[in-house]
Amino acid sequence: MVSVKLFNVTKRFGKVVAVNKVTLSIEHGEFFTLLGPSGCGKTTTLRVIAGLEHADKGRIIFDSTDVTEFPPHKRGTGMVFQNYALWPHMTVFDNIAYGLKIKKMPKEGVRRKVKEVLDLIKLSGMENRYPTQLSGGQQQRVALARALVVEPKVLLLDEPLSNLDAKLRVEMREEIQRIQKKLGITAIYVTHDQEEAMVISDRIAVLNQGTVMQVGTPQELYRRPRNLFVATFLGRYTIVEGLVKGVSSDGFVTLNAPAVELLGITTTPEIKLKEGDKAVAIIRPHAFKFHETRTRSSLLAGVIEWVSYLGPYYEARLKVGKLSFLMTVDPSVKVEVGMKLTVYVHPEDIVIFPAKALKEESYGAELK
Amino acid sequence: MSSFLNFKNLRREFDSLTSSQFTIVLAILIFFLLLPLFSILYKGFVANNQLTLTYVHQTFADPEMIKIPPNTVFLKLLQIYKFKILSNGSRALVPVNILAIGSEGPDFGYILNSIFVSTSVMVFASIIGVISAFIMARYDFIGKNVFRVLLFIPLLATPFVNAYVIGKVLGPDGLVNYMLINVFHLSYKLVISGLPAVILIQTLSFFPIVYMNVLSSIINIDPSLEEQAENLGAHGFKLFRTITFPLSLPGLASGATLVFVFSMEDLGAPIGLAGAFGNGLHTHLMSFYVFNQFKQAYSLSMVNPEAYIVATIMLTIAAIGFILIKKYVSLRQYAMLSKGGRWSPRVRIPGWLGLTIVYIFMTIVVIAASFPQLGVVVLSLTNWATSGPFPTHLTWDYALALIEKPDVVQAIKNSVTYSGLAIAITVLLGTSAAYIVARRKIPGRETIDVLATIPIVIPGIIVAVGYLVFFGSLFPNTMFDPFINPGTLLIFTYTVRRSPFLTRSVFAGLQQTHVSLEEAAMNLGASRAKTFLSITIPLIAANVIGGSILSFVYMMNEVSTSLILGSHQPSQGPITFLMSQVIYGSGQVSAVSIAAALGVLLMALQIVAIAVSNYILKQRVSFLGV
Repeated sequence: MVSVKLFNVTKRFGKVVAVNKVTLSIEHGEFFTLLGPSGCGKTTTLRVIAGLEHADKGRIIFDSTDVTEFPPHKRGTGMVFQNYALWPHMTVFDNIAYGLKIKKMPKEGVRRKVKEVLDLIKLSGMENRYPTQLSGGQQQRVALARALVVEPKVLLLDEPLSNLDAKLRVEMREEIQRIQKKLGITAIYVTHDQEEAMVISDRIAVLNQGTVMQVGTPQELYRRPRNLFVATFLGRYTIVEGLVKGVSSDGFVTLNAPAVELLGITTTPEIKLKEGDKAVAIIRPHAFKFHETRTRSSLLAGVIEWVSYLGPYYEARLKVGKLSFLMTVDPSVKVEVGMKLTVYVHPEDIVIFPAKALKEESYGAELK
Repeated sequence: MSSFLNFKNLRREFDSLTSSQFTIVLAILIFFLLLPLFSILYKGFVANNQLTLTYVHQTFADPEMIKIPPNTVFLKLLQIYKFKILSNGSRALVPVNILAIGSEGPDFGYILNSIFVSTSVMVFASIIGVISAFIMARYDFIGKNVFRVLLFIPLLATPFVNAYVIGKVLGPDGLVNYMLINVFHLSYKLVISGLPAVILIQTLSFFPIVYMNVLSSIINIDPSLEEQAENLGAHGFKLFRTITFPLSLPGLASGATLVFVFSMEDLGAPIGLAGAFGNGLHTHLMSFYVFNQFKQAYSLSMVNPEAYIVATIMLTIAAIGFILIKKYVSLRQYAMLSKGGRWSPRVRIPGWLGLTIVYIFMTIVVIAASFPQLGVVVLSLTNWATSGPFPTHLTWDYALALIEKPDVVQAIKNSVTYSGLAIAITVLLGTSAAYIVARRKIPGRETIDVLATIPIVIPGIIVAVGYLVFFGSLFPNTMFDPFINPGTLLIFTYTVRRSPFLTRSVFAGLQQTHVSLEEAAMNLGASRAKTFLSITIPLIAANVIGGSILSFVYMMNEVSTSLILGSHQPSQGPITFLMSQVIYGSGQVSAVSIAAALGVLLMALQIVAIAVSNYILKQRVSFLGV
């Protein structure tokens, strides 16, 4: 169980900067996720940690040991690959025992350890099967067992659930979380699925074009995104463009948009807005209240233009002037198309960013 | 600072496995391929320690090499007199009219003859190959599988004997003329020899190379590309001309280039024809010229320096061919735009008119292309060699000679020994080269890629000449002296020339094996060397075995280096050397039948090897495709 630190790690493939000056600090025992769209450099970052790619610049530290120059087989990480990478010419037992045999562990010890880990992943009795005789979920467990049995310093998981069907994916992510907490091992997890990241992680780093956009707990990222990329990458939202009407002394920003006036907040002191600036507001679907419960809430009066039933709740679009707000509605509230409706949004549920960020954030990863 | 960093990077990349593989591959290829080839250039362009173009001028001014004006006679009517037994039992001298094609010309001199022949063979082989491939890929008809198998027959190498059979069938007293005179009662005999005969024989034996390359290109075309064109109104020949043919061009380009190079280096046709007709214009080719210079030379001083220039020309043409193929193979991917799942092949059942044309075309092609091989079988089992147009009785004498005649047994032993040892080296060389090219991003990787695959196009005679020059001048009286120990060097020519089959097979295996399987092992603490042995090798074992079998068979069939190096110590000569001796060298006519028996042995080996390796690799290996 170790902590993992990355300092200014940069990795290029030809002209493409896959990982750009990434600095991260992962605590021991933490479940840490690298989240981002495809091509954002999250897998490369993981492979740099495993030593499968060599960083062009920067250092990688496990606890107090600088492992930057260590070859992969000297790093002591345990990696679960996206395609599981189970060796088809070996049985489940031989696959799991491989790492122990490399370490020249006596036969009896190998047998005992493999049995233990098979119990842990609930696959006892499958020792003599070949990978092709297993289901996708079972293969996934064997790959996990093979990485865990060597008691790695860090567990690395590269989109391990992406090849499973939706139901199994939910089961396995709980399973992985259970095992990680039980063993107390440091885990670094790569995924492009934001819901998966939210559910499973202690902390998440959102990456875009090789650059870390924000690191934080799932709650922080969702409720207090520090930039437009994170705000729009995580969850669903309505975006409203407008002009800043004023900034109050306690930091609330009034945004003037066509047909509505919104009162919101900024999430970081680095964002400085003044009257007349172009700005955008991000509002989550669940932020809409049907009664004014607090003063200073923004008021939106419009007509329901679209309703969709999703089981636990409805989704609806409220048309206010030319704007269309996406909101979730509790089934106890009756909504139908054409109905007039007035809703309220608390200022802390409206996050405001400078509008130029619309363009800049997505190009933020270019190397200067 | 940056050079220090580079050094550090290099040290990291060159772990124990990579450095040993890198060293093995480069050492073998430099010593047994590059240096011998360079020594030919040295001999051709350096005299008295000075760079010179004397030999180049001499070669191009030599009327034997480039004939000015060329002789363009194509056919000639000859009248010869022959004894004939008349109906009353008396013998009379009667005139025989002969329509002779090729015996008097054309002749442009050795260099231009080779280019003329190779170009013609390339064009004819391409036409037949493309049509056959299109028919086999797009039409369904009864007996298609029979044709599919028969189309492979011409690829079964039976060096010299197949050309001899063609000579026997098309010769003045051959089967065809027997039919013309005695069945159709024509007053002319037809005799094809010289360059047209070479073109005919090579076209028939090489067109399957185009066929297979084009076929694999067509099969890999995403059907939706053709369906879209049909949807937009194209059909029939228009569809073929605008979509199918352009998409199969990469296959045609590499197939046609290979045919050109193989035709240029071929010794089987000229030597076989010389066996059937005696020396004639069919031997006025660069390959035969070089062969002739070096097989007689017991010391390099006897060699006409023009031979080095001719060798250099052949080498240059081969290198250009290789560059063309490389370029087109990388382009080949565009034929497989979308690759997802198996698509249903676009196969049609032709109408009755189409069906008739398909059957007539395919039957003619298959009969014309496979009769030499069938003739070899007949030759080995009957008295055909001495009996005139038809064989009259069966005999096991020639088959038995394979186990009874000491020189034949020795030749078989030699071939098996050389090929066996060469395979051991080839496995080491081929897996190392393929692993470096497929898996290691190290400086020098491109060079190894080129060096490991280029031997496929380098004429064997050139390699052999390079060995004679390089090892003959620098290693006299050692185990590498080609005049004393050609056997040792044959092992290395076999290795270098035939390893590309194994290298490509292993490379294909590595490409189909996900690299994460190896990364997982390294992640669990295995070094690269340990990973290579415990994970990589078991995963690509089928490819190593399949590739070894193919390489082995092509070593057994190796002609040109076997001939030139073998001629210096006949007791160390392999099978193909003995076959050439029997066909071309010995006066014994029936000995040809022993060569035919050896040819049947080689064919049997090839059939078994291809069947086994196809089974192991679970796919049709286009074993001469690139």
